[in-house]
Amino acid sequence: MKFLRQSAALLRLNLGGLSARGGSVLTILVGVTCTVGVLVSMLAMGTGAHQQLVGYARDDTVVVTSRGSGGLDSSVSRDEAAAVADLPGIATGSDGKPLIGHNAIVVIEGHRRGTGARVFFPLIGASPTVQTAMRPDMHFTDGRMLQPGLHELVASNSCVRTFTGFELGARRAVRGIDWTVVGHYDQGDSMQCLVLADVETLMTVFGRNTFTEVIVRLKNPGDFDAFRAALEANPALHLQVKRERDSAEERFKGFKALLNFAAYFVGAIMALGATLGSVNSLYSIVDARRRELATLRAIGFGSGAIVVVTLVESMLLALPGALLGAAVAWLFFHGMAVSPFGVSFRLDVTPRLAAIGIAWALVMGLIGGLLPAERAARVPITTALRAT
Amino acid sequence: MKYLPLVWSGIWRKPGRTVLIFLQVAVALLLFGVLQGLKTGIEHAVNAARADLLIVHSRLSLIMEGLPSSLLEPIRALPGVRVAIPVELFICHYQKPEQGVLSVALTPDKDWTTAFTFAIPAQDLAAFAKSRTAALVLETTARKFGWKIGDRIPLICRTAQKTGSPNWTFDMVGTFTDSDFGGGGDKILMNFAYYDEARATAKGTVNHFNVSVTDPNLAVPVADAIDHLSANSSHETKTESIRELAQQQVQQIGDFDFLIRAVVSAVLAALLFAIATMMAQSVRERTSELAVLKTIGFTDRALFLLILGEALAVCILAAAVGLGGATAALPIAARFVTGLSMPRITLVIGLGISVLVALISAAVPAIAAARLRVATALAER
Repeated sequence: MKFLRQSAALLRLNLGGLSARGGSVLTILVGVTCTVGVLVSMLAMGTGAHQQLVGYARDDTVVVTSRGSGGLDSSVSRDEAAAVADLPGIATGSDGKPLIGHNAIVVIEGHRRGTGARVFFPLIGASPTVQTAMRPDMHFTDGRMLQPGLHELVASNSCVRTFTGFELGARRAVRGIDWTVVGHYDQGDSMQCLVLADVETLMTVFGRNTFTEVIVRLKNPGDFDAFRAALEANPALHLQVKRERDSAEERFKGFKALLNFAAYFVGAIMALGATLGSVNSLYSIVDARRRELATLRAIGFGSGAIVVVTLVESMLLALPGALLGAAVAWLFFHGMAVSPFGVSFRLDVTPRLAAIGIAWALVMGLIGGLLPAERAARVPITTALRAT
Repeated sequence: MKYLPLVWSGIWRKPGRTVLIFLQVAVALLLFGVLQGLKTGIEHAVNAARADLLIVHSRLSLIMEGLPSSLLEPIRALPGVRVAIPVELFICHYQKPEQGVLSVALTPDKDWTTAFTFAIPAQDLAAFAKSRTAALVLETTARKFGWKIGDRIPLICRTAQKTGSPNWTFDMVGTFTDSDFGGGGDKILMNFAYYDEARATAKGTVNHFNVSVTDPNLAVPVADAIDHLSANSSHETKTESIRELAQQQVQQIGDFDFLIRAVVSAVLAALLFAIATMMAQSVRERTSELAVLKTIGFTDRALFLLILGEALAVCILAAAVGLGGATAALPIAARFVTGLSMPRITLVIGLGISVLVALISAAVPAIAAARLRVATALAER
């Protein structure tokens, strides 16, 4: 009890005296604000990208690809695709047909507006009717859905914003054939550029006879295990199945690791710098209190209480900077659109990131307070009191 | 010069504080050096990429779509073309799927190396042309897997052989180095003839052609002429120099410039604040000492310079340490870009920044020191 009472009294005393040490307090504030602001903004890239690249995935949708493939190198033969339709647990649409989409994906080039820089992006051959049934959040803002059998394209609105040649009625040459853009659509809050074509037409033009992937809607998410077991039990099928979410997470993994590494690398170095600055500031705060501390020790305050209070003070000093840094990140960077590595997304500053930033700052405060606290506890009573 | 000992003792008046400031400046410039060095270094590497080495690939995609090998002869017949080599890329792994190795199949025709960024010892080059199953291995790859010349190397590839087997074996006959931008991954070179004969599917197509020109100034007209060959066909080509490809790769990285600027300014703002506070405090603590210096004849100007000198000495030395660390760390941070080294301009800018930080943060305390009134300062004691 005595320890707590002493600590509380000391803390009040210390915090009350801080107003006289504006420079030191400001140094800590600015250092911590910058560190937390940068850390939170950079981590917000990771959450923003996750939201964009994985957020669209549904639990009841699975992706079937050829065994061992890692994305675009997959090929599913027509026989195999037909056999997938006989597997258990597949949902049916309002027209009574099973909800199975066959996609063939090729890569084509586009040119950025303004800079004219060339970018490669996927052209997805899909079956238009199934696509509409399986993606209810897809809605057309302009034009119409493409018709099967024709050389027609529909593009998401972000393609229209980012690249040239996606205006309604525009013709794009793919494999020496003119394709007409007949519709613009939005899908949820997706910012990815997705271009759809009729799968059979696309495969004819590209001389292909295999699909890249088969997308299956299950009756409910729990049917996944039964579906996978049936798929793997059929020796004629060289296929693998993943939940749409897992498949998206897997593709996102490398990108996320890169973003998070950058965030924590820069955050750690900045934290190191800011901690060194706050150690310096705390030393000068402690030095200015030598007589005060010696007096307290002389009238019976324990050195344990002094250590604890200095550490708490150091963490309290880091707190406003942490809040300010998170606020700055939110104010200036939340919702900002960026597109590193060809992926467009908005920075997403979430409460969880703010909490990470604040925890980061408190650890900085704790570590930065250790040496000054030790010095504060060791103030030699007699010399400190005698000194003028 | 005679003031140096004075500056030195001023710096070490409070060793703890000086060491902390020193470390803080060093850390800030380490971060600056790595980030800025990465950016400028990549720009330099792009500009150093060869503009006279052309890659002919499908207009649809860089690597996903093939081209008919029948294009080779018309390309070779074009004026200005020195050599044109068909290239097929396919992905293999050694023992484990995580140990990926890129196989580059090419025809070792006369002067073929002029169309590539590889450096190969003469005897290895000769051995490679002689045997159908010969392979050249990237030096770092050979070291990583412990392969030696004469070894038979078994690889498992995504492209199956006619027999349906994904297993391919090669005889390692030599090593090479690659100066291509981003050419750091594990890689072997193999004979196109062996590959084309053994592969089960997609015969008669190649991934792309590498073309070197007789005169660097001809690169652009030759590229246009090559694309003209297949214009309006079902297999239109796009011919680009490897410098253009590197530029596009960098554009893909995209918005990192803005980020680097934001981080660097945040670091410098925090640094400026910390040092300014420390210098102000240091001068305040030394009021009486500075007053004594004035009493024994030091001018206002000398005191002003003394304080600035202290800040400059600490900041410049710390910056040198920080930038030195960044120079050492950069190749590790940039393993994916071969041949990246710290650009000199970044070091110069870094030192400039440290001088600026020192001058700005020490200006106010230095003026305070210069304006010190001896009588009042001493009377406070």
